Amino acid sequence: MAETPENRVERIVSGLLRGRRLKLRGGDAEAKDAIIMAARLAAARQGPQRMNPTFRQRLARELETAPREGWLTRRAALVAGVGALAGAVGGGLAVRGLQEAHPSAAGRVIRPTNGQWMDVGALADFPPGGARLVKAGSVGAFVYRSGDQVSAVSSMCSDLPCELWWDGSKSLLACPCHNRNFTPQGSSIGDQYPLPSLDIVDVRVTAAGRVEVLGV
Amino acid sequence: MTSELNDSGEVVELPAASNAVDIALDELEMVYAFIYARVGNRADAEDLTQQVALKAIPRLRQGAPPSAIRGYLFATARSVLGGFWSTRLGLSESELHEDLVMAKPTSGYSQESADRAALILAALSDNYRRVLELRFLHGYSLKEVAAEMRSTVGAVKVMQLRALRAAAKVRLDG
Repeated sequence: MAETPENRVERIVSGLLRGRRLKLRGGDAEAKDAIIMAARLAAARQGPQRMNPTFRQRLARELETAPREGWLTRRAALVAGVGALAGAVGGGLAVRGLQEAHPSAAGRVIRPTNGQWMDVGALADFPPGGARLVKAGSVGAFVYRSGDQVSAVSSMCSDLPCELWWDGSKSLLACPCHNRNFTPQGSSIGDQYPLPSLDIVDVRVTAAGRVEVLGV
Repeated sequence: MTSELNDSGEVVELPAASNAVDIALDELEMVYAFIYARVGNRADAEDLTQQVALKAIPRLRQGAPPSAIRGYLFATARSVLGGFWSTRLGLSESELHEDLVMAKPTSGYSQESADRAALILAALSDNYRRVLELRFLHGYSLKEVAAEMRSTVGAVKVMQLRALRAAAKVRLDG
């Protein structure tokens, strides 16, 4: 018999109040709002938390013994070559480090293998001076309209895997992870630390007034 | 102190590794509190804090001031938390926007979590507030809550679900 939502949430609440890890099952998503709130209230009951001394020591050891490659400067990384970084803290991290050292002025253009133009709506549906989130198959993009022209950038932040959102009050794309903004054309704003530009997505307007995005 | 080549090929002195680690650990204490306040248990909070630390290692060694390190650690923490919830519950980053972005890094071990919970509870109806207070703040069992509220365990279980959903809808400004 399927678990009822109230039993589902009680199972999770009961575990949280016993200090247990969140063990979620398929179907728990139907009560996601209640589960997230339960986690917050369980935390509030405990008050502000500090790391357990054993965990702090373990973390310190990991930071102390992190492979030196993980701490490389751009110069050292270039000298050592990307291949040497593969065994560092993680290939993805190492490559990310290199990307951080090379904030590009313009984002790369996304050209998916076997890409095809996909209809994402009529031009009239796109407000002038605004950006709208569209999905062209697996490609998520913000399509920005200026007059009868359109441009598009990836809906994912260029630094962390976070989905952007359109802040209409500022006419900017906002990254929830960095609390930073990008222009509709994808350039990073602010000088706290440079972020690479957003990837560019191919977009066009057909003779029939339809907007199409190159997706896959 | 250690030394290595900078971009111009000059030898530059770097802070001792232990200093960088000490700074990182102090900042990670706040990251841990930030994460704990959102997952509500130690095991998950430790796993996620560890993920943040490992992801941030390349940045930590760049000699950045603590404020910049904090900014990066919290950005990473938001990303890791977003991944945690989206993987388990299918939440999108935009759904988590308020929970993750509205919280600003603080310099101490603030009562943010408790204060926020109090404000949320205050916005609920009497019954909903009571059931959540008894269950979460006083640690009552379902049976004890039912006795206190002169109700049944089944009814309290349903009320708990509805109260949590109502609490999730409360929007706090500022």
